[in-house]
Amino acid sequence: MSATTIIERPAEGATVYHPKTSEAAPAVSVRGFSLWYGAKQALFDNTIDIQSGMVTALIGPSGCGKSTLLRSLNRMNDLIDGIRMTGSISLMGDDIYAPAADVIALRKRMGMVFQKPNPFPMSIFENVAYPLRVDGVRDRRIVQETVERSLRGAALWEEAKDRLNESALGLSGGQQQRLCIARAIAGDPEVLLMDEPCSALDPIATAKIEELIDNLRGQYTIIIVTHSMSQAGRVSDNTAFMYLGRIIEYGETSTVFTQPRVQRTQEYVTGRFG
Amino acid sequence: MDAPTRAQTEAGIPAQGARQRRPDAIRPDDLRAEGEPWTWLLGGALALGIVMVLGLLLLVAWNGATTFWPRPIEVVTLTDGSRIAGEPVRSQAFRPGPQIIAELPPGIRARIAADGGIADRTLYRTGNYDLYGDDFRWVPDFQRSAAERPGDMVLIERLEWGVFVGRIVGFTHDGERTTTGDPRNPALEAAYRAARARWAEIRRIERGEIGTVNHHLEAERLRLRRVLLGDHPPAEREAAERRFAAEEPRLTAAYQRLAAAAQRLRAENARDTIILQEIGGREVTLPLSAVVRLVRANDMTLTEKIGVYLSRWWEFLSEEPREANTEGGILPAIFGTAAMTLLLVIAVAPFGVVTALYLREYARQGRITAFVRISVNNLAGVPSIVYGVFGLGFFAYIVGASIDRLFFPEKLPSPTFGTGGLLWASLTLALLTVPVVIVATEEALAAVPRSMREGSLACGASKWQTIRNIVLPRAMPGIMTGLILAMARGAGEVAPLMLVGVVKLAPELPIDGFFPFVHLERSFMHLGFHIYDVGFQSRNSEAGKPMVFVTTLLLLALIFLMNIGAILVRNRLKRRFQGSQF
Repeated sequence: MSATTIIERPAEGATVYHPKTSEAAPAVSVRGFSLWYGAKQALFDNTIDIQSGMVTALIGPSGCGKSTLLRSLNRMNDLIDGIRMTGSISLMGDDIYAPAADVIALRKRMGMVFQKPNPFPMSIFENVAYPLRVDGVRDRRIVQETVERSLRGAALWEEAKDRLNESALGLSGGQQQRLCIARAIAGDPEVLLMDEPCSALDPIATAKIEELIDNLRGQYTIIIVTHSMSQAGRVSDNTAFMYLGRIIEYGETSTVFTQPRVQRTQEYVTGRFG
Repeated sequence: MDAPTRAQTEAGIPAQGARQRRPDAIRPDDLRAEGEPWTWLLGGALALGIVMVLGLLLLVAWNGATTFWPRPIEVVTLTDGSRIAGEPVRSQAFRPGPQIIAELPPGIRARIAADGGIADRTLYRTGNYDLYGDDFRWVPDFQRSAAERPGDMVLIERLEWGVFVGRIVGFTHDGERTTTGDPRNPALEAAYRAARARWAEIRRIERGEIGTVNHHLEAERLRLRRVLLGDHPPAEREAAERRFAAEEPRLTAAYQRLAAAAQRLRAENARDTIILQEIGGREVTLPLSAVVRLVRANDMTLTEKIGVYLSRWWEFLSEEPREANTEGGILPAIFGTAAMTLLLVIAVAPFGVVTALYLREYARQGRITAFVRISVNNLAGVPSIVYGVFGLGFFAYIVGASIDRLFFPEKLPSPTFGTGGLLWASLTLALLTVPVVIVATEEALAAVPRSMREGSLACGASKWQTIRNIVLPRAMPGIMTGLILAMARGAGEVAPLMLVGVVKLAPELPIDGFFPFVHLERSFMHLGFHIYDVGFQSRNSEAGKPMVFVTTLLLLALIFLMNIGAILVRNRLKRRFQGSQF
C-alpha cells in the first residue's frame, strides 16, 4: 500500500475501509446498525465485517459507542429499558436480531469478558463450570475436563489447580480476569467479546492478558474494546476507529495506525486528542 | 473551644480577613463554625436513647430474675395485739386518711403531723387467700409493735388457693396422725414424696391414657357421624354402625378401668394430709399431694435457697399455669409463641420474596409497579388490630368455615378451622409483616451488582437461572435482615392475636402424639397476651405483678434468641460473599 492522502472531511456517515489483506471469512457482520437510548442516538448506521479467527480492536475516545457496539453483538443491551435499534447483525450468517432468534443460544456462542473482573461468589471450579451448569451438563468427567482445558486456555491452571475449591474472590485482580476469560471460553464459544479487559489491572497483569489474547488468536474470533492505543497495536490484527457513534476507519491495524486516511483517526492514534 | 481550631486561628487562616470584611460572618472560633452544638445534640439524643433502653432491660431483668428467690417470712405483732405473718414485699410512704388519724393515739398523731401527714407502710404477702380473702396486706409502721422471723414458719405453695403461710402442726399418713412441728421430719418427707408421686401418676393416667381413650372414642363417633351424614349405601351405614357398636363398649370399658385406677390413687392420697396452722391459730388440713413446694423460709442455707430458686424456674418453664395463670408455669405460652413465630416466617418468607422478585426483576417499571409499591408501603402503616379483624373475618369465618364444610362436616356445628387458631394467627401476622419483607428483599435485589447479572447472562444463563444462581444467593443476607425484622415485629404483636386464636388458657399444645401431630387449628397461648392477662385481667394484680416481669423477661429472651439465630445464619451467608465488593 502506498501512502495515501489524508481525507479532511469524509462524507457524512461514510466509513473508510482499507483493503483487506487476510482472506478470512467474516464471523460477525454488522449492516447499517443504528441504536438509540430513548431519544438519544448512540450508534449511526455502522457497517463492519469482523474476520473470523482474528483479533479486532475497537478504539476511540470515551463515549464514542464502542462498548455499545460490542454489547449489541451478544444482545447485552436488551437489558436496558427504552432501547431501540435498526439495521442487522449476523453471526456466521444467522441474524441475531431476528424475531425467532434465541438470545440464550446466541450468548452461548459468544463469550464475554467485562471491564472489571466479575467472578461469581463461588469456588474457582464452579465459576468455570458455570456455563456448563446452566447448560444442564451433569457428567462430572466432562465438567472436570472442560474446567481444566479452559483454565489451561486462560493460563490460570498452574496457579489455580491446587485451590480449585477455594472462593474465586480470593484471587488477585489479574487472576480474576483470567478466570473470567476461562469462564468465557468454557462454553466453547465462536466469538470472544472483550470490553476493556485490562482497564482495571496493573501493567504486569495486563501483559499476561495480552499474551493470553495472542495465544487465543486463531482459536476464537476476538473483538476487543480498548482505550489503550498501544494495546490495540500490540494485540490486534484489525482495528476500527470509532468517533461519535460512527466507525470512521476500519482496516488492518498497522495500516490504520501508520497510514490513516481520515484526519480524526490520525489525530487520535498520534495522541493529539482522545 | 478545642485546640486545633485555636491553632488554626493563630496560624493565620484567612478567615481573619473575612471577619473584618463581614461583621456578621461566623468567627472560626465560634462553636457554630464546626456545627458542634448539633454534634452534642445528636450525641445527647443517642445517649438518652441508650440509657432508656438499658434502663428498661435492667428493670425487667432485675425484677424478673429476683421473683423466684425465696424471701424470709416476718411475723409482725400489731399495736392491737394481733399478729400477721408474711413476706415483706415493699415499703412506701403514704398519707393516712383523716379517719385513721383520728383513731390514733395522740403521740403517733403528732409524729405524723410533724412529717407533714405522711407515714410509712409495708406490704406483706400473707397468703392464705382461703382464710383471709386476700393475699396481701399493707401494715402501717405506726401499727407495728414488734417483728421477728421464727425459724418454724413455712411457706407452702399449693395447687389451689395460692400460698399458705404458717406453721406445720402435724400430718396424717394412712389415716394415722403424727404431731410434729418440724418440716424436716423424715416420715413427713417420705409421705410427701409418695403423695406427689401418686399425684403425678394420677395426672399421667388422666392426661395421657384417659386422653388417648377419649381421643379414640371421639374419633369413632366422628367416623360414624361422617358416614351417616354422607349419602352412602345402607350396607355401609350399617357396617359403620356395627363398628361403632363394637368399639364404643370396648373403649368405655378401658376408660372405666383407668378411671378406677385413678380413683384408687386419689383415695390413697386423701388419707395423707398435712395439718397447718396460720398465725392467728386457725388450722387447715391439706392433702399432702396438693403441696407443690414446701419452703422453710426462715431456716435455709444458701444452697437450699438456690435449690428452691432453680426448682421454681424449672416449674415456670416446664409446667402449665394454674390459679388463673398467676402460678405454675408458662410452657404452653412459650411453645405457642415460638410455634407461631416459626409458622409466620415460613408463611411470610416465600410470599414476600416472590412478590419482591416479580416487582423488581420481572414487572415492567412503570405507574402500576409504582402504585403497587406505594400500596405495600402503606400496608406497613395499617394498625395491627385492623389485621386482626381482617384475619378473623377472612381467614376464620370465610376460609376456615369453607374448610370445615368441606372436610370436617361431622364436627359441625362446633368449628375446627372456622374459628381462631394457630394457623390463622400466623397467617394474619404474615400479612402484617409482609411489607417489611418485600421492601427489604427489593432493596437487597437492587443492591446485587449489575456486573454479576451480566456475567451470568453472558455465559448463556437464562433470566431465571441468573436469578436463582447469582442474584438470590447474593441478596440472601438482605432478605434475611427483612425476615429478622418481620420476625421481631410478629413475635411481639398481641392486639391482632386476641381476635384470631390466642386464649387465656390452652393446656393442649398444638403438637401432640395424635395424628396429624401438628394441630394448626387449635387455639394457643402467647407470652405477649399472657403478660396482659396476668397483669391486668387476674383477680389479684399484686400476685400477678412478679409474673408480669418474669414473663416479659422470657418474651424478650425468646425474641432475642430467635433473632440471634437468624443473625447467625445471615452472617454465615455474608461471609461467603466477603471480598466480592469491587
